[in-house]
Amino acid sequence: MALFSVSQTAFLLAFLSLRTYQSEGLSEPLPWAPESLKVSVNTTCQCLHLQWTVHNLAHHQEFRMVFQIEISRIKTSNVIWVENYTTTVKWNQVLHWSWESKLPLECAKHFIRMRSAVDAAKTPGPRVWSSWSSWEEADVQNSLGQDPLFIFPKDKLVEEGSNVTICYVSKSHQNNISCYLEGVRMQGEQLDPNVSVFNLNHVAFIRETGTNIYCKPGQGDGIKGTVLFVSKVLQEPKDFSCETQDFMTLNCTWDPGSDTGLLKQLSQSYTLFESFSGKKTLCKPKSWCLWQVAPESQDMYNFTLTAENYLRKRSVHLLFNLTHRVHPMAPFNILFKNVSATSATMTWKVHSIGKYYTLLCQVELYGEGKVTQHNVSVKVDGAHLFSGLEPDTEYLAQVRCANGDYFWKWSEWTHQNFTTAEAAPSEAPDVWRNVKTVQGRCVVTLFWKPLSKPQAHGKILFYNIVIEYLDRTSVSEVLSIPAPASGTELPLNQCSSQIRITASNSVGTSPASVLVVSREPGNEEVEEERVKGTEDGFPLSWNPQPRHVTGYLVEWCEQPRDPPCDLQWKNLGPNVTSTVVSSDAFRPGVRYNFRIYGISTERVPYLLARKTGYSQELAPSDNPQVVMTNLTSHSFTLSWKNYSTESQTSFIQGYHVYLKSKAGRCHSGSEKAVLSDDVVCCKYKIDNPEQKTFVVENLQPESFYEFLVTPYTSVGEGPHDAFAKVTTPDEYSPTLIRILLPTVFCILLIMITCYLKSQWMKEKCYPDIPDPYKSSVLSLIKSKENPHLTIMNIKDCVPDSIEVLNKQEGTRKSLTETESTKPTYLYLLPTEKRYSSPGPCICFENFTYNQAASDSASCGHVPVPPKAPPSQLGLLTSPENLLKALEKNYMNSLGEIPAGETSLNYVSQLASPMSGDMSNLPTNPPEPALCSEYKMQMAIPLGLASPPSSGSSSLSSITLLDEGEHYH
Amino acid sequence: GVVPLLLVLHWKHGAGTPLPITPVNATCATRHPCHSNLMNQIRNQLAQLNGSANALFILYYTAQGEPFPNNLDKLCGPNVTDFPPFHANGTEKTRLVELYRIIAYLGASLGNITRDQKVLNPNALSLHSKLNATADILRGLLSNVLCRLCNKYHVAHVDVAYGPDTSGKDVFQKKKLGCQLLGKYKQVIAVVAQA
Repeated sequence: MALFSVSQTAFLLAFLSLRTYQSEGLSEPLPWAPESLKVSVNTTCQCLHLQWTVHNLAHHQEFRMVFQIEISRIKTSNVIWVENYTTTVKWNQVLHWSWESKLPLECAKHFIRMRSAVDAAKTPGPRVWSSWSSWEEADVQNSLGQDPLFIFPKDKLVEEGSNVTICYVSKSHQNNISCYLEGVRMQGEQLDPNVSVFNLNHVAFIRETGTNIYCKPGQGDGIKGTVLFVSKVLQEPKDFSCETQDFMTLNCTWDPGSDTGLLKQLSQSYTLFESFSGKKTLCKPKSWCLWQVAPESQDMYNFTLTAENYLRKRSVHLLFNLTHRVHPMAPFNILFKNVSATSATMTWKVHSIGKYYTLLCQVELYGEGKVTQHNVSVKVDGAHLFSGLEPDTEYLAQVRCANGDYFWKWSEWTHQNFTTAEAAPSEAPDVWRNVKTVQGRCVVTLFWKPLSKPQAHGKILFYNIVIEYLDRTSVSEVLSIPAPASGTELPLNQCSSQIRITASNSVGTSPASVLVVSREPGNEEVEEERVKGTEDGFPLSWNPQPRHVTGYLVEWCEQPRDPPCDLQWKNLGPNVTSTVVSSDAFRPGVRYNFRIYGISTERVPYLLARKTGYSQELAPSDNPQVVMTNLTSHSFTLSWKNYSTESQTSFIQGYHVYLKSKAGRCHSGSEKAVLSDDVVCCKYKIDNPEQKTFVVENLQPESFYEFLVTPYTSVGEGPHDAFAKVTTPDEYSPTLIRILLPTVFCILLIMITCYLKSQWMKEKCYPDIPDPYKSSVLSLIKSKENPHLTIMNIKDCVPDSIEVLNKQEGTRKSLTETESTKPTYLYLLPTEKRYSSPGPCICFENFTYNQAASDSASCGHVPVPPKAPPSQLGLLTSPENLLKALEKNYMNSLGEIPAGETSLNYVSQLASPMSGDMSNLPTNPPEPALCSEYKMQMAIPLGLASPPSSGSSSLSSITLLDEGEHYH
Repeated sequence: GVVPLLLVLHWKHGAGTPLPITPVNATCATRHPCHSNLMNQIRNQLAQLNGSANALFILYYTAQGEPFPNNLDKLCGPNVTDFPPFHANGTEKTRLVELYRIIAYLGASLGNITRDQKVLNPNALSLHSKLNATADILRGLLSNVLCRLCNKYHVAHVDVAYGPDTSGKDVFQKKKLGCQLLGKYKQVIAVVAQA
């Protein structure tokens, strides 16, 4: 204390003397001026670091001093920064001060000087400064190297939105250097002839790998660049919160915001500090941290969460009572006890948060589309009774808990399903029937609807049917139909019976539905009425019944076009006389038939009304299949009797018959109509839908007509497509047909007959060989010249001799040789023998002919092939063909005949091979045999060769060769 | 004493210029027998490198961003002064020795580039993959060339030189040096593969 008093006294004395000295003319410097000023440059942080001392301080002497520091740029007169730095100075102390330059220090020289003063803030009056130190120069440019161009700063890290100064230093004294940021040229200002500065304001984050900034001179290759790393601004952690589930650990969470990680900077780190305990922990995850609750009972916690990166720190605080931040764990071990059809008890366990705390649990029950909620206070185990439940129903129960003393947060839900037990069905099944008579016996088809879930109270197992015959003559029958059947067919012993139907599940049986089948079929004569359907369904109404009814029933088929029909019914009360029948199955264009029954007190149904209608009528999509009959030149009849009016898409009101004709005139009973394609035609209207024939009259003969029959309804008529075509016949054509047809038939018959009997006709009319008996020439000769001439009767001819000529053996004769041989004749002689082997030729000479005649035409020696095929021989029916065949086969025949053999030829004297008996020739070819000559026997008239003396031959022959081609 | 003097002499001798190759009559042994068709394999590896060099170059300068893709001549020109020479008209032995030096130089430089790019462009995975694949082929090629030199020419050791270390350079300079090296690599490998 004494030392302090001494120092203070000395300081005051010195201060007073200094003030005195200053007032006398400031000729002497302050004794505590800064000395040994040294300036160093840190280019990493672009900082100038100053270091100096204050001499003349006594040992252990210290007092506060102010150091005024001036910084000039480029030249000393250009002062850019003045700052007073106040600090306590001790003896022999080295003082430090740093200054961060906005401009990269490499860009310009900096000059620094300082002076000092004793900090006399408590003493009034102006401050007494020491003299300035000499200027210290900070010049980094000298150490840059020999490159022609430099850009600074290098790899600078800044926050997004901050301002950055870039510069380049050119040592090549080029002025046309351009600099770019991400390809965009920057506009700068020249600091000195070699240095230009670019101020970038509010720099934006572009990418984590940095932003390229580069400068390139106008000449040369020396592009230089630097990378600017712009990080996102570190954000304050949001939603900082801490809570505990077990009083063992605190779970603190927050929203970290954007990541500020860069190449030059790691992501921000988070530190949690609790001020009461003085503990601190580094949180590795970025959004949460665990804090161990102190074992001693510390209720209050004051947390500071600090986010920090290279550039910035941000902190948030949280002060809370631990018991107010309890977030219980979810309940567990949910069980259901005493589950009946209508009630159940749920139990659960909770994680204890201490014996002094009570949990508030919330119980919810979901089932049958309803939710019920209850709150229960729980220490350790919870329990709750659910009542009023539905039998055989699945429920979902869930529970969650919170601190009952100070609510902070609910726990997570824990849920569990359970199903109540079954009970007996509560309602009788809805039953209806269909009665029909099969072979004189009543057959009842029962239908029932399945009980709904609230009615069934469980799974229906059987439907029980009891049939009681009303006249008591038959024993009651009991049937059990297994579910899920919805109907059954029962043949009854007697029609009058009462049927009771019940449904059973595993617990019990439902009340019974009673149906009475009456002997009387009911009033089937009820007239059918039309009803118009609406969007809501079919509105049906009926007259109230004078007699007492227990109710009404409406019956219909939902699928009337399909055989099973899908019978539906609707039960109505006794006071109801109208209803609307609706169903999703109703379709437009389908006719639905409804039958309304009254149910008597004896449970006997009787028919009250029949309704039919469409939910929506549709225009007919098809036209009738029309048959046209009775076509005459002036009319025809159209008929479409197969067209059913009941199964159409709307009520048929009648038909339109359209008739198109070229004339375009419409007669009475029709009107002109213009179709959609602007075609004009005549329209006949038929008002009666059951009239399905129509006679179109007043037509023109030989005219073309087109017609169409289409039904019309209240919503339109059928399609106007596919007109049928018809052409009326000529008026006279039927008569002509009656004449022409028989004539043509007769001509055809004659032609066919002539064709089939052509041979017969030929023989009769113009035979190849005229029959002498029938020849008119003969009769002419006979009458005019020689009445004695007659025709030789074959029977009168007796052959008197047969000359057999044996031909020389081993000789072969050519055709020319044969020609020169006289008299050698070849005749064809019919024979019964088979031509099995060749033989010597035998010629039978017929002396009926004279020699001349025989030479000229009678006997020709024709070699015949030994085995000529019938077809080949058949060609001989024609002289030309025969000749050719002979010429062709002649040599072969000769060649095939062995030497020394002879052939025998027979010549028919009865018929010519050219005649109708030619068939003998191919079928019985002459067999080569010993050559015989036969001379035809024929009476020759005068003028011809004299007949030979022997006229006994009865055979006649005809030569096979034409004149001039005979071989002798 | 003597040891520092020897060290200094040795350092002086080895600094700056590569050492001469091993004398022909020196003993040379490889751990594994060389492949029978070694020269063919070397040619194939060179062709493989030549085939992928341009793609690697494009991947590299694209990943660096502007101004690299549009200033290839100024930023990625093959201005690598200390790159080992190659004479295509030399003898096979000479060419193999020069190839060995080139491969060693490239291997080291690619290592630097790969290391830098993993930091500078951590998301450029295809570039990393291509760099690694090229480095793998270079290692195989180096082994084959050494095998050939050793077996045929009894050269067991070749002094090599490496490029500058980029670890202390600024980011832009690292990018630029890498681009220049890959540009040079693309140019040289085409010549070597043709030789």
